[in-house]
Amino acid sequence: MIKDITIGQYFPMNSPIHRLDPRTKLLFATVYIVMTFVSNNFVGLLFCFITACIVIAVSKIPVKTVLKGLRPILLIVIITSLLQIAYVKTGIVLVDVWRIKITSGGILMAVFMTVRIALLIVMSTMLTYTTSPTSLTNGLDRIFAPLKKIGIDFHTVTMIMTIALRFIPTLIEEVDKIMNAQKSRGANFDNGNIIKRAKALIPLFIPLLFNSIRRAYELANAMTCRCYNGGKGKTTMNALKMKKGDYFAVIISAAFVAGVILLNIYCGEYNAEFTFNAAV
Amino acid sequence: MSHLKTENLSYVYGEGTPFKITALDNVNIDLEKGELVAIIGHTGSGKSTLVQHLNGLLKPTEGKIFLDDENIWESKSKVYDTRFRVGLCFQYPEYQLFESTVYKDIAFGPTNMGLNEKEIDERVRSAAKYVGIPDGMLAKSPFDLSGGEKRRVAIAGVISMEPEVLILDEPTSGLDPRGREQILGLIKNYREKTGKTVIIVSHSMDDVARFATKVIVMNDSRVENSGTVDEIFENSSRLSEIGLSVPQITEIFIRLKKMGYPVSEKVYTVEQGHSELMRLFAERGIV
Amino acid sequence: MAESIIEFNNVTFRYESDEEGVTLPPAVSDFSLKIYEGEFVAVLGHNGSGKSTLAKLANGLLLPESGTVTVSGMDTKDEEKDIEIKQTVGVVFQNPDNQIVATIVEEDVAFGPENLGIEPSEIRRRVDDSLKIVGMYKYRRHEPHKLSGGQKQRVAIAGIIAMEPRCIILDEPTAMLDPVGRRDVMKAIKRLNKELNITVVYITHYMEEACEADRIVVMDDARLLMDGTPREVFSNTEKIRSIGLDVPQTCSLAEMLRKDGIRLKNDLLSIDELVENIDDILKG
Repeated sequence: MIKDITIGQYFPMNSPIHRLDPRTKLLFATVYIVMTFVSNNFVGLLFCFITACIVIAVSKIPVKTVLKGLRPILLIVIITSLLQIAYVKTGIVLVDVWRIKITSGGILMAVFMTVRIALLIVMSTMLTYTTSPTSLTNGLDRIFAPLKKIGIDFHTVTMIMTIALRFIPTLIEEVDKIMNAQKSRGANFDNGNIIKRAKALIPLFIPLLFNSIRRAYELANAMTCRCYNGGKGKTTMNALKMKKGDYFAVIISAAFVAGVILLNIYCGEYNAEFTFNAAV
Repeated sequence: MSHLKTENLSYVYGEGTPFKITALDNVNIDLEKGELVAIIGHTGSGKSTLVQHLNGLLKPTEGKIFLDDENIWESKSKVYDTRFRVGLCFQYPEYQLFESTVYKDIAFGPTNMGLNEKEIDERVRSAAKYVGIPDGMLAKSPFDLSGGEKRRVAIAGVISMEPEVLILDEPTSGLDPRGREQILGLIKNYREKTGKTVIIVSHSMDDVARFATKVIVMNDSRVENSGTVDEIFENSSRLSEIGLSVPQITEIFIRLKKMGYPVSEKVYTVEQGHSELMRLFAERGIV
Repeated sequence: MAESIIEFNNVTFRYESDEEGVTLPPAVSDFSLKIYEGEFVAVLGHNGSGKSTLAKLANGLLLPESGTVTVSGMDTKDEEKDIEIKQTVGVVFQNPDNQIVATIVEEDVAFGPENLGIEPSEIRRRVDDSLKIVGMYKYRRHEPHKLSGGQKQRVAIAGIIAMEPRCIILDEPTAMLDPVGRRDVMKAIKRLNKELNITVVYITHYMEEACEADRIVVMDDARLLMDGTPREVFSNTEKIRSIGLDVPQTCSLAEMLRKDGIRLKNDLLSIDELVENIDDILKG
C-alpha cells in the first residue's frame, strides 16, 4: 500500500553512529563525498571503500538495506559508464568494430566512476539511515544559524522542512483516499493516452489542493496558538551537544582527509591504467 | 437469493515485510436484495477494508466476492463494472468534491459510465432529490456550500450511478445531531423508495440500531457476529467490550441486568426502554 | 467566588465575505460570558451556531468587531500581550492531523515551550509531565502519523499543556474520533481539570460529554441561549430539542417515566444516578 513508504528513510538502531551529533555526521558525509571526488586513483578509492565498510559495520545497518539504496541510481550508473566507454580512448584497444571502439582506459574509467558514484550514494544514504529527519533538520538549523547575522534566516527553511516531513505521510494517505473515492465513481487513472491521463488527474488534484489549503490554514492557527512567532527567542529541548564520540569522529574525518591526499600523492595520478596493463 | 456474497475473503498487505498486516481474515458474508445492513466495528477492525473489496477497489489476497452469483474478479471489465453496480461513498466524502458546479460533480459517475446527456440529466436531478438538494443549488460551486450540504452532494454523486448496492462508510461522522438525523433519514427514505440494498459502516450502534435489517459486527479483521438488531443486542455487553458504543439506554439495561433484575438487553430506543421498565414496575406492583 | 479568567463583554464578530459588498450575518452577536478559574464549561450548539468562533475569539486568534474579550484582565486587542494571552489560554482544534508540527511526538509537545524560550531542562520536564498526564508517555518517540486519531488528539492536548496554560479550550476535539478515542480524550481532559486545576472550555455536540461539565453554555444563532448546570439545562428538554440538539437518553427516559407516575428524582443525569434511583424504587 502506498502509505507504507517510509519517507526520509531513517533506520532507527542503537549504534555509536546513530548517537553522534547530526552536525558531526553532516560534516563527515560532506567531507567523504568531497574526498571521493578528490581521490584520483584506485588505491584511494579502495581506501574510501574500506572506510564506508567500517561505517556500515559500526552503524549495524544490514548491508542488504544499504545496497537497496543503490537501486534507483542504476540507470545513472549505466549512462555514465557508457559515456566513459564512448569517450575515453586511452590504453589498449579491446574492441574495434565499425565505429565502436572500446579501450581498456574506457572500461577502467567506467568502473572508476561507478564505484565513485556508488560510494557517494552509500554515504549519503548512511547519513539519512542513521539520523532522524528531525535531528538532521536540527543540525542544519544550528550549522546555518550564524547566517542570520548576514540577513539570511535559515530557521524558516528548516521549519518548512520539518512541516514538509511531517505532512508527507498525511498527504500520501490522502492521495490514496481521494484516488479510491474517485475510482469508486468510475475514474480511470491507469488507461488512455497522456492527455487523457492528465485530465483524469483533475479529480485528484483539485480536492488535494483545497484540502491542503484548509490544512495549511488550520496548522497556521494551531502554530499561532502555540506561540510561534517565526523562531524569535526559540530554544530547543534537545539542545545539540558535542560529546566524546563526536570529537573522536572529527579526528577520524581529519585522518580520512589526510589519507586520501597522501594516497593521491604517492600512488600517482591515474595509475589505474598502469595497474591494468600490468595485470594483462 | 444471495445478492452480494463473500467467500473466505482474506486480505493481507505488506506480505514479506516486517509490517505485514492481516486486514481481513476469512470473512464470509451473504446479503440479500433490499436489506439495510449495518457493518459495525471499531477503527482498525477491518470494516473499511471489507467494503473496499465489495466494489472491487481492493483485490482479495484469498477468497472470492460474488455479485448476483458472478465472481466480480472474473475479468477486468467485470471489476470496472462492479464499481458502478456497487456504489461506495467514503468517509468525509465532502473532501472529494472537485467540479465547478454541484451538477457536474453529481454527474461525474454517470459520465464515466458513458451515458448520454439526457440520461445523465435525469440521474443528476433524481439523485439530488433523494438527498434534498434543491434545483437552485445545482449551478452553485460545491465549495460554497455548508458542510452538511457538501456531504449530501457527495452522497448524491454515488446515488446518481444508480448502483444496486449503496455503501456508505461512516456517513454521519463529524455531523451535529440535526445533520446526523438528516443523513440517516435520507438513507432510509432512499431505501424505501428504491428497494435497493444499502450498507452503512459505523462504529456506533446509535445510528443504525433503529432501522438496520441486519447487523454484521467486525472485530480483529473477522466477523465477530451477525444477525438482526435484536439478535446482536442479545449480548449488548459484548459490544462495549470490543470498543463499540452502545446507546446510553442500552447501557442502563446492561447495568440493571447485572444487578440481577429480569430485564432484556435488547433495548436500543428510549421507547423500548420505557416499556421494558414499565413492565418491570407493573410486575413489582409499583404502578 | 473564583476569579474570572476569560470575559466576553457584548462581543460581536462577523467573518468577511469572499464576495465584495456582501456583509455576512454575525457569527457571534452581542455575546457576554464569564469563564471562572478552575471551571469545566461545556459549550453546546449545532454547526454554525457560533461556538467555534468563540474559541478563536477567546485567545485573540480573532478579534471582536465590537465589545471586548479579556484574558486575566488583558484585552485580546493589546498586541503587546499577545504571547502572554496565548500562553494563558491554549486552544485544541478538531482535526488532530492539522495541529501536530513535528515528526516525533515529544518534539511536537516541546514546540510550544520552545517558542516561549524556556530552558531546555525545563522543557524536558514539562514534555514528560504533559505526556504522562494524557497517557501518551510511552509513545514519546513515536511518529505522530502512525498513531490513532485519539492518540494524536492527546498529543495535541499535551502540546498545549506543556505551555502551562491556565485555561484550555477544546473545539470539538472528539468529533473525528471513534468511541474508544473519544473516551480516552475525555478522560485526559477531566484529569487536567481535576488534577492540574486547569480551566476547561469544551465545545461539543455530544450531549453525554457535556454532562461531564460543571456548567453548560448553549449557543444558538450566534447568541447565548442558556447558561446553567447540566441538570438545569437538560431539564428543559423542549428548548434543547427545538434548536436541533439532543437530550441525553437518560433524561428522556426519566421524563417519560415521571409522566407515567414513577417517582424518580428530578435532576437525574448520569447512567449511574438513574440506575441507582430505579434500583431504589424497585427495592421500595
